[in-house]
Amino acid sequence: MTLGGYEFRLQRRATLPGWKAALFSILAVLFGLALFSIIFLQAGQNPVEIYKQIFSYAFLNSYGVRLTISRFIFLALASYAFIIPAQAGLWNIGMPGQLYLGALASFGVVYLMGGKTGEMTASQPVIILLMLTAAMLAAGLFGAIAGFLKGKWGVNEIVVTMMLNFIAFYFVAFMIKDGGPFMNLGGRGESFELPEAARAPMTGGFPITLWIVFILMVMLQVLFSRMGLGYQIRAFGKSPAAARYAGIKPFMIAVLVFSLGGAIAGLSGYHYFAAVPGVYKIARTYGYFGDLAFYGVICGLISLGNPVATLPVALLFGGLSIGGRYAQGKLHLGFGVDYALMGVLMISLVAFQFFYNYQILITKKEKKLDVAISD
Amino acid sequence: MFRTKKKNGDIELHGDIWKHIQPGEVVLDAQGITKRYPGGVLANDHIDFKIKAGEIHAILGENGAGKTTLMSILFGLLQPDEGEIYVRGLKVRFRSPEDAIKMGIGMVHQHRKLVPAHTVLENILLGHPKSRGVLKLKEVEDEVMALAERYGFEIDPRARVWQLTEGEKQVAEIVKALYRGAKILILDEPTSALTPLETDRLLESIETMTQDALGVVPFITHKLPVVLSISEKVTILRKGRVVDRLNTAETTEQILAQRMVGRPVIFNLQKQPIEPGEPVIQVEELSAKNNKGVMALNKVSFTVREGEILGVAGVAGNGQHELAETLFGLREAKGGRILFRGQDITQASVLDRWKLGMGYTPSERTEVGSIPDFSLVENVTMNYYFDNRYNHRGFLDYGGLRKLTEQVIDEFDVATPGPDVPIRTLSGGNLQKVILGRVLSRHPKLVIANLPAQGLDVGATEFVQRKLLEARSQKAAVILISEDLDEVLSLSDWIAPMYEGEIVDMIPAEKAQKDTIGAMIAGLHQERGS
Repeated sequence: MTLGGYEFRLQRRATLPGWKAALFSILAVLFGLALFSIIFLQAGQNPVEIYKQIFSYAFLNSYGVRLTISRFIFLALASYAFIIPAQAGLWNIGMPGQLYLGALASFGVVYLMGGKTGEMTASQPVIILLMLTAAMLAAGLFGAIAGFLKGKWGVNEIVVTMMLNFIAFYFVAFMIKDGGPFMNLGGRGESFELPEAARAPMTGGFPITLWIVFILMVMLQVLFSRMGLGYQIRAFGKSPAAARYAGIKPFMIAVLVFSLGGAIAGLSGYHYFAAVPGVYKIARTYGYFGDLAFYGVICGLISLGNPVATLPVALLFGGLSIGGRYAQGKLHLGFGVDYALMGVLMISLVAFQFFYNYQILITKKEKKLDVAISD
Repeated sequence: MFRTKKKNGDIELHGDIWKHIQPGEVVLDAQGITKRYPGGVLANDHIDFKIKAGEIHAILGENGAGKTTLMSILFGLLQPDEGEIYVRGLKVRFRSPEDAIKMGIGMVHQHRKLVPAHTVLENILLGHPKSRGVLKLKEVEDEVMALAERYGFEIDPRARVWQLTEGEKQVAEIVKALYRGAKILILDEPTSALTPLETDRLLESIETMTQDALGVVPFITHKLPVVLSISEKVTILRKGRVVDRLNTAETTEQILAQRMVGRPVIFNLQKQPIEPGEPVIQVEELSAKNNKGVMALNKVSFTVREGEILGVAGVAGNGQHELAETLFGLREAKGGRILFRGQDITQASVLDRWKLGMGYTPSERTEVGSIPDFSLVENVTMNYYFDNRYNHRGFLDYGGLRKLTEQVIDEFDVATPGPDVPIRTLSGGNLQKVILGRVLSRHPKLVIANLPAQGLDVGATEFVQRKLLEARSQKAAVILISEDLDEVLSLSDWIAPMYEGEIVDMIPAEKAQKDTIGAMIAGLHQERGS
């Protein structure tokens, strides 16, 4: 393409340093914000003021920050649940179901120990550990179904994980409805409330699940960059045929990544219903958290499966979802504006990844021009 | 005679530019063709090339010598940065293959560009002006058959392409180009997938074409004897430049190879006499199905000993590929058994086979043999992630693997900027060197090499073959699967011609004769030999 005597050409990059990738992401966010401000301007609102409200509430207001961090933990865990199978080239979109299974299992521990009726006597560390273990086990097994079917008979994992979500939703409804084993005594269609001893402790104002996120980041980073198992997962993701030739067992990989992904999704369920102050029960509107879990897919895709890069992305969207809702209420913005803004930013981030692979070369047009690009 | 009008660079022909053509007249003249790729690679550096009517003029060059680029430019797939092309004295500029075809240039690709599910006739019509509007299939079929008969091609216009052998597909492509009105035919590696018999037939057909004043330009990397038998003139490219123009009558294979590679090439590989040792692999009545679920390997039995090369010869699709995959556990055995050093491994996993000391270099180098997006180090890791020397309690020793990769690069003379670049940036020959180097670095007791030199240039071919002989000297057993009879004959201790899933005969190298084996792999030799 030529423009004003200059020639524009696309060229494929061989490599991209990490700081450049980060720079492109920041540019993408700025571009998305600028683009969305057109909508605010068109509605006669001042975009700068709105963005100020959103970001200051999400990241500076002491109450807002806590909500942001809570949301961030949830998104980061949901993203990790997506990333592990994604590194093996498999799609986990069953986080909503897996997180509910995890939440139900940890509430089940409390229920079995008499927590519903106030007869629980076990000490807090024991209960918390049991709840975490139960959440990971149940959700991991639930996830493993998709891995097993994929590995054994090649059943499409997207269909399976998606359908399992619906089964999980029915299961939640059954457990928390009036007359269900976990029903709230007030009969509000919610689960019973966790007793004090079963609530996740806070450190520095934040739930302990925040530490789990950081530990998982380190573990996943080590798994994929240092360990033989991580290598096998990545190799299988890049080329299943080559992986098979190298002796990697597809069945083992499929079951493993879905078990791990499911277990981490289970932790996100634990986090949301057993570690966030002001909740401590399985909510009535379970569909909402399902939607939220899908943001894990997008965070995982934006960070290209990199466990470290996932965290800033999850923080950004965690903050935006909190700040956006706040600003919407405070400034009387249109319904759904917060979601629309997040959508635009996600598209912008994904679109800017074009520059991860290509660069634009601008050269002064020469007299003789005969450029043909083929293949 | 004809005139042209240029409208936005469009070539509009009025009249037939190919009327009254005289043998010996220059029909295609490329002058100073230069092509630079991004990154500054000079693929074609002022190449001059001329072809006359009725001439066969081969272009010879290693992988990366600029052959493909030149071919693409002549066929309008690429446009040169500098230089001019004249067709019968008329300056042309091809913006696409469509333009080149209009000017009478036809191309037969090495990787066939035919629609497998369609018939030969439908493929010939694809893109042809007669495919517009109502199809006159009968009329076209008659014309195609007349054309095929003229040049001695046997062709079934109603057969579906997927049913054809490689040789028949090539015939279909040639007829397609001729039916489009090609007067200059570019052939990319015309004989690489053909049996000796098919090769002879093709050469005869080409001979007839030259009598009709067609110009034929075969592009060739390996199979130098073909160059000598097929062409009158040869232009040799090296590193994007013309290094020589020779009359084939006055040259030899040795000279061609030397000019092409830039150093003397040893054709007669030194095969040391080795006393065969213990049996390494014993195969008993092994059967397997192909991907379509049809029995493709039928009760095959053989034994290979230490220090022996078994050459499995055959035309593609006769069960060799299934044999290799079944031996390595990538395909399920439907009968029979495999003993590796006395141990029954018929049901063993691929991983176990690596650990036991088997090694396999697949023919699909980019799809199976390597992971294109992975670096060289990560590709070498494919054979070491399970190895205690590089996997310490689950943690990979990437430092050690990097050193190992550097050794492979060094020992196998791999041209690469370094061990950390993605392996997709390597040329075909270098990729194969990495794959073979990686497998041989494990010092396997058995190497299964599936088409190890296919598509490689003379230099890389010789290198790969020498490495296989080295493995043999080190007492490894080697199963060499190849479609190239010369390769099989020069390397093997035993030759197993395969036809329709069966090993026709087991022939010791000293008794092997090329034409007998050629007949066996073509299915013409039904009765078993001694």
